[in-house]
Amino acid sequence: MIIGSNLAKIYGKGSVEVRALDGVDIRIRKGEFVGITGSSGSGKSTLLHLLGLLDRPTTGSLVIDGVEVASLNERERTLFRLNRLGYVFQDYALVPELTAEENIYLPSKVRGMTVKECTRTCRDILGVVGLRDRVNFLPGELSGGEQQRVAIARALVNNPAIILADEPCANLDTRNSTIILELIRKLNTELNQTVVMVSHEEWHQKYFDRVIVMQDGKIVSSGE
Amino acid sequence: MLEEEQVAFFLASRLITRGNKGTILLTIMIIAMVFVNLIFLPSIIAGIVVLFNQQNIDYSYGNLVIEPREDQLLITNVKELQQKINRIPGVVASTPRYSGAATIVSKGKSTTPLLIAINPDDEKQVLKIHTGIASGDYLNDGDTGQILIGKTLAGNKDQKVDRTPTLGGVDVGKTVEVTFRNGVTRQYRIKGIIASGQFSVDSSAFITRKELESVLGTADTANQILVKTQKTGNEDAMRITLMQYGIQEKIWTWQDKSADFLKSIVGSFNIINVISTIVSLIIAVIVIFIVIFINTVYRRKQIGILQAIGIDRSIIIKSYIFQALFICVCGTLAGCALLFVLLQYLTASPLVFPGGPVAPVLEPMLLFRAITSLFIVSLIAGFLPSWLTTREDILSAIRG
Repeated sequence: MIIGSNLAKIYGKGSVEVRALDGVDIRIRKGEFVGITGSSGSGKSTLLHLLGLLDRPTTGSLVIDGVEVASLNERERTLFRLNRLGYVFQDYALVPELTAEENIYLPSKVRGMTVKECTRTCRDILGVVGLRDRVNFLPGELSGGEQQRVAIARALVNNPAIILADEPCANLDTRNSTIILELIRKLNTELNQTVVMVSHEEWHQKYFDRVIVMQDGKIVSSGE
Repeated sequence: MLEEEQVAFFLASRLITRGNKGTILLTIMIIAMVFVNLIFLPSIIAGIVVLFNQQNIDYSYGNLVIEPREDQLLITNVKELQQKINRIPGVVASTPRYSGAATIVSKGKSTTPLLIAINPDDEKQVLKIHTGIASGDYLNDGDTGQILIGKTLAGNKDQKVDRTPTLGGVDVGKTVEVTFRNGVTRQYRIKGIIASGQFSVDSSAFITRKELESVLGTADTANQILVKTQKTGNEDAMRITLMQYGIQEKIWTWQDKSADFLKSIVGSFNIINVISTIVSLIIAVIVIFIVIFINTVYRRKQIGILQAIGIDRSIIIKSYIFQALFICVCGTLAGCALLFVLLQYLTASPLVFPGGPVAPVLEPMLLFRAITSLFIVSLIAGFLPSWLTTREDILSAIRG
């Protein structure tokens, strides 16, 4: 469960002050697949960054799975990201020197799995995203869609409660976007993972349980 | 290995094996050169010190130097004392000497070098001066009217090249005139020229003790007895042994006698060495720092992403430290290989110094110090840039 109250993110000071988020209240239930949409500069990515603990709100409270995350120190935030959140970036963000399996291996190993467990889990997850035969491929040897599927597998490896996806289909064609969206939808349904996804494509909305619409740093529709 | 270190090592190993090999190779070569530089000069200095020490033992002092008692000018009853010394366990041989200044004249050229009166046969047991005969012959115990002249003292026909007063290029068979401190003047035929490489020997002249005693009218006296011991390095213990055996004369070790000279030489070399070491280490820090810094800046976005997916910054920092250590280890190994080749070459073709050929001496402590310095330098140069980069806000890093 995600509960954000009066969240604000302000950049700059005085006359150059920019309110990227302006008193946002948000509530996302466990297992929901929520889309966040809005025009460029509406604050959707800023909101996702706060939910993903990549940034801190200027004011407001954010509780994820019963933890007030705003009060966590840097190390606790890193651990929280590792254990409870899975983040999928727009540009895949894979380590180019690591194979598909090794990219996934990294967070699972940090979490304390043995090498054997890691290898088994990585291969299982690559199977889930349909890349079992690409285990030893470097990112440069994979297509954009395949790279994004590896990134999703990496986000899933520690079985997080929440998956945050920042325009994961922005660099993909329609066919690959559909594969990714269906994969995320399937994971959401089968694993009951909460998914929050930023997207500005209207046709993506059919995959979401509800759509939060943002404008000028505020939620104009919560889609409830 | 701990969990964090395992992940850091895994990450570092992949970044090295699949990263830019050209840059890594170049960096390794630079570190290898720095390593060679850290070792080479000190090993040459150590070689010079070994040479000077050996020269002092072989040509000037032996292992121990016995001098007259506190209130006496000469050692008397030399023969008896020498026999007593030679019977002491650990003593190989001893040789009495009587040295003092004398004026030597040859074809109007005059100089006042040290004239040393020796027992040539005894000297052969203790010193190696007899091996340094450049021309002519060494003295025999019974020789009178004959003299050995050091090469520096003999000088050159063209005196412009001589840096000290000389006899203007005298040679074997020529006659020189020697005036002793009691005013007696005698003619001597030059029997041999000595070129030992030791300045104090090559700028002196030698006659037999028998000859000097006939000039001074003394018998069985000397102002030094040089002693050769079985082992070099235990001179202090041997000095105590001699004292325990009742030798009441002053006893010095060769280190006591050459301390000031060596100290000044080693001190000067050490200053050069310290400067060279500091410069080398600064170069190593800068090179590794730049390589790791460029690496971290280039991977800034990647570092941000790793942090975003829950990889702690300490793991990222450690992975860069491992990379720096890898470069250091490879650089050190490559440096060892280079050094081995260089040392082999210099052992086969030693550098020629005024005292003789100098081969580099590689001391284990020196090697340990160089490796430790490079290790510390790598830790610093690996830590600083990665620490700086991972301090950055995650979103700024991801945006690049």
